[in-house]
Amino acid sequence: MFADMPALNSACHYFMIFVFGAFAVMFILCLIRMIIGPNVADRLLASNMIGGPVICTIAVLGILLNETYLLDVGLIYTLISFLAVVIISQIYIGVYREKNQKQELREKKLAEQTAAQAAKETAAVKKSEKREEN
Amino acid sequence: MEILNWIRFILAAVLITAGLVFYAIQFIGVFRFQYILTRMHAAAIGDTLGMGLVLLGTTLIYGFSMASLKVVIILAFMWFTSPVCSHLLAKLEVLSQRHRDDRCPVVKAEDIGKMHENAEQEKEAEA
Repeated sequence: MFADMPALNSACHYFMIFVFGAFAVMFILCLIRMIIGPNVADRLLASNMIGGPVICTIAVLGILLNETYLLDVGLIYTLISFLAVVIISQIYIGVYREKNQKQELREKKLAEQTAAQAAKETAAVKKSEKREEN
Repeated sequence: MEILNWIRFILAAVLITAGLVFYAIQFIGVFRFQYILTRMHAAAIGDTLGMGLVLLGTTLIYGFSMASLKVVIILAFMWFTSPVCSHLLAKLEVLSQRHRDDRCPVVKAEDIGKMHENAEQEKEAEA
């Protein structure tokens, strides 16, 4: 990057390689979070979180290789990761809404059935008590 | 002129390491918290300050050119769209979990006053 001064050039080169290695560790941590996370929202959070270090890595790569056109790739990656989070969250909101509605209907039916059975049993108990009195 | 370049590089190195520290804070937070809504709070720390400091460091190294303008545009777009993503994730979590009150109990506004009154009555009873 600094073509005039070779000492500064090599110092910058090694520092950027160190930063690159630090970001590589972050990618693996994001993947671990994506595998472990018990819910859908955890995995979606991990896939949104991986976008930040990726953009920083692209900027650092532009310094390492002395190519500035890599930053266009970074800009497009930002847009696409934002779009992915929006679309996947809307899809899963619809899916979970249907699932919860079906489960609520099932629970209502079960509650009605148990209430009807409890009403029958109390009616039977009352009838047997009346017979004993008579 | 040489010293100016050295100063530029050292300042950028300090900013980039500070950004890496904030990214480390983000990852420690995401792995230690137990619930998604609190993890999202930790994830926002890296997206704002971590990325801001690292990209500011890279603009310093690129100098005064088109490349630093592109980096500033990336940073501005990320800062505008990160809260939208957080809100959508929170909406997904709230609408999908039916037994959320076990993990994350919500206290209504009227009950907070009653909690304070009970605490005061217990203190008066002890004293």
